[in-house]
Amino acid sequence: MRPGAGSILLRYLLLAGLAIFFIAPLLMMFLGSLKADHRVLLESGSLTAFLPHELSLQNYSDVFRRTDFLRFFFNSLFITGCVVICGLVVNALAAYAFARLQWRGRDLIFNLVLALMILPFEAIAVPLFYGASILGLRDTYAVQILPFIANAFAIYLFYSFFIGIPKELEEAARIDGASTLRIFFSIIAPNAKPVFASVAILTFLTWWGSYLWPTMVTIGPTVRPLPVAIASFYTLPPLQWGDILAFGVMMVSPVLLLFVIFQRWFVAGVASSAMKG
Amino acid sequence: MATIEFDNVCKSFGDGINAIHELNLKVDDGELMVLVGPSGCGKSTLLRMTAGLEEVSSGEIRIDDRVVNHTPPQQRNVAMVFQNYALYPHMTVRGNLEFPLRMQKQPANRIEASVKRIAEMLDLSPLLDRKPKALSGGQRQRVAMGRAIIREADIFLMDEPLSNLDARLRVEIRGEIAQLQRELAITTLYVTHDQAEAMTLGQRVAIIDQGLLQQVGSPQEIYERPNNSFVAGFIGSPGMNLIQASLSSERGEIGLRLGSKRLPLPQPVLASYPGLASHREERLLVGIRPHAIHLAHADSTQHLAARVCAVEAMGHETILHLDTELIMHANPKTAADKARENQPHLLVQLNGHHNFRVGDQLRIELGIGKLCFFDADGRAIG
Amino acid sequence: MRLNDQTTSALLLVTPALLGLLLFILLPFATALVLAFTDLRLGSPLAVNFVGTDQFLSLFNDPDFIRALLNNLLFAAVVVPLQTILALALALLLNRGLPGTVAFRTLFFMPVVFPMSLVAVIWSLIYAPGENGMMNAFLQWASFGLWEAKDFLRDPLLAMPAIMLLSIWQGVGFQMVILLAGLQGIPQTLYEAAALDGAGRWRQLLHITLPQLRNPLIFVMLVTTILAFRLFDQVQIMTRGGPENATTTVVYETVQAAFARQQVALASAMTVVFFLLVLSITWLQRRFTHHEREVA
Repeated sequence: MRPGAGSILLRYLLLAGLAIFFIAPLLMMFLGSLKADHRVLLESGSLTAFLPHELSLQNYSDVFRRTDFLRFFFNSLFITGCVVICGLVVNALAAYAFARLQWRGRDLIFNLVLALMILPFEAIAVPLFYGASILGLRDTYAVQILPFIANAFAIYLFYSFFIGIPKELEEAARIDGASTLRIFFSIIAPNAKPVFASVAILTFLTWWGSYLWPTMVTIGPTVRPLPVAIASFYTLPPLQWGDILAFGVMMVSPVLLLFVIFQRWFVAGVASSAMKG
Repeated sequence: MATIEFDNVCKSFGDGINAIHELNLKVDDGELMVLVGPSGCGKSTLLRMTAGLEEVSSGEIRIDDRVVNHTPPQQRNVAMVFQNYALYPHMTVRGNLEFPLRMQKQPANRIEASVKRIAEMLDLSPLLDRKPKALSGGQRQRVAMGRAIIREADIFLMDEPLSNLDARLRVEIRGEIAQLQRELAITTLYVTHDQAEAMTLGQRVAIIDQGLLQQVGSPQEIYERPNNSFVAGFIGSPGMNLIQASLSSERGEIGLRLGSKRLPLPQPVLASYPGLASHREERLLVGIRPHAIHLAHADSTQHLAARVCAVEAMGHETILHLDTELIMHANPKTAADKARENQPHLLVQLNGHHNFRVGDQLRIELGIGKLCFFDADGRAIG
Repeated sequence: MRLNDQTTSALLLVTPALLGLLLFILLPFATALVLAFTDLRLGSPLAVNFVGTDQFLSLFNDPDFIRALLNNLLFAAVVVPLQTILALALALLLNRGLPGTVAFRTLFFMPVVFPMSLVAVIWSLIYAPGENGMMNAFLQWASFGLWEAKDFLRDPLLAMPAIMLLSIWQGVGFQMVILLAGLQGIPQTLYEAAALDGAGRWRQLLHITLPQLRNPLIFVMLVTTILAFRLFDQVQIMTRGGPENATTTVVYETVQAAFARQQVALASAMTVVFFLLVLSITWLQRRFTHHEREVA
């Protein structure tokens, strides 16, 4: 059934109304980051908030002057990068062993791993914090990276994908003389790019924005990642909204850049995580 | 070059189902042996055990007199062509051909020379930089063959390599495979469910049903002297008619009782089936190929009345499904009979086109010289 | 040795992951279960005692914690249906492939990639008190001047709804994408059949779309419910649980106990309560999901 012209118009009106709700905070952030500090709040109550006029990059240079932005940025990049890359290798290898190798205890252990998926991080934050404290590991990179490499959900996503790769490919490779590791890296991994992309994106999003754990374990600015940094910059007097928004723009720009380039993968990754769950 | 021997090989899966039961078979050096049987008969399992992809439950598999039961596939030096080809999708044709050689750590210049040679042999040269996705079915099949040949393996294993092709291509490539195998003279085990493929391809054919080896022999032997009623029904298109009959002797003359008819068996038949003498007065199965049945001449004395139930007109030949007074034996093992389920018809294969319609009455005559005989258990009477 | 026994290579492959899961998930979780029955305090020189269920008793006599539980429940009760309906509406609007769909989808999904900490900061500006605040100005405009400027984040009645709104803004795109994928999985022939049977748009939605979307909808609601109970970042940054505990949450109280007051044992007890909540939500979801488990 073809919708009539009236119904199409109605759809667009609805979409446009909703679009305003979604775009207003974003526009305000981008434009505000380019306006003089005192104007940001002053103009936010009127449509001038969305008018690009008298813009400058002053706030950005203020951010670098007032905080050690590059350090925070590096911290986030390093921590997230380590978790993503190590996670991909560790979880994919384990998933491969669960999906395709024959070994005793496999199904039992795999079910245990699946059961771990229902444990949200918040359910282990306290004892982990306790452990990090008594081991004197607070305020380190390690404590922000190591606990998050192995991930039951990532293993599950990889497993679901590997199960769907035709078994004959591996059998052909075995007959051709390839070892187990060789099969994984030469045959399985190149044919599993979509799931590697999905897991990488989901992991990246989670840890780039992670706030609870770093706010518990970091003390000084040395290993502080961006989410904690913006929260503390927000409370750093004097309250200068232009600077804060500039900080925010710089903080989110790598994610947005990746999102714009790999939008298809982002959406597919998120959707696949649900369909499997 | 190698021989393959299966010595009392059994395979049972976890659920207690016997996939292969005490199988003995020897494939000679350079021979093309075809394993044929209905789907699920265990022929693929046998192939996969030879490759090392499945464990042998008991018995021994020997390649060149070396027991390989516990040798992993990587060390058996066998090459295999899979039903779905199993081409590595992320590699080009060249990458696929190179892969087994790279696993052997051959030097680059040797790999390149081999790829060139194989590509020329199989007409793959213009396709070397394409991915499998960009190839036609026939081309993929040739790449799969190439990847197997390039190894210079001791043994070639082919698991229904043609079943994903359309009928025309299948016939064409069938010929190519036979020719290649002759040229390379490499010991080959070839699995198919298509009896026609088996008959045209195999130097010897091994027929397997329900995990049991039914018969091994040249295509001609298998066609003319099937070991049992299963082989009789399975081989040939359509398969052999199996008719319930009994052997009677009257006045010293042995004859067949087929329904109400009595068919005296002439001396040459009795001579070539000496075993018949010991089955007098017993019920047995008579097999006759559909093309060994003719329309009766007007003066025939041995004719049977029949009614046409269905006509398959193929142009060069006509297959009639006939209702007669004969009681047909349904062979529950062949897929074709399963599909029909009810009492099978007598099938007659006539050359050329015939204008019969359903319901027509006609008279037929069995070619008495071309009968086969099976005892009540389906074993051939020799 | 069996031919296809790959135990050695398998152990090699799974060990790093299993070690990680064991050390950083299973072990801490087990520790929480044990600590919840002690009186451990971080840095306290006193010996640790086993106190049975004392911590749980004091939890349920603690008005702050009860308030936190209630806040989480309220948050879930409001946000889950609202966000799901909005996500469904967005998905339905975008599903018909009108020109410009991709741009709208991109826009609606974009907040999902924003770190919650940043979202909280941006929305603090939106909720700025006084007539200059964007939300105040908007409400004044929409009510033809009747709205009086409020300080949303310091108003016990408005703080929670304010946090709810930004949570929906940030999270709805995630659900929309999942529901869109679900919608696209419904065979077009079902709609054609229904149209031939004389079903109008509304009936098609009711009798085809919603039943076919059942599993994605339940999944989306489960995830949102669990997120509602994990609520922390926004509260910590925007209101610190206030005003008058109006926005405190279970996780916020847990972090306060462990982090600010060093009461590790009490925090562990809160963790256990939190886990039981999540477990029962998951159990409910499993019960309501149809299990015709297609292999995806």
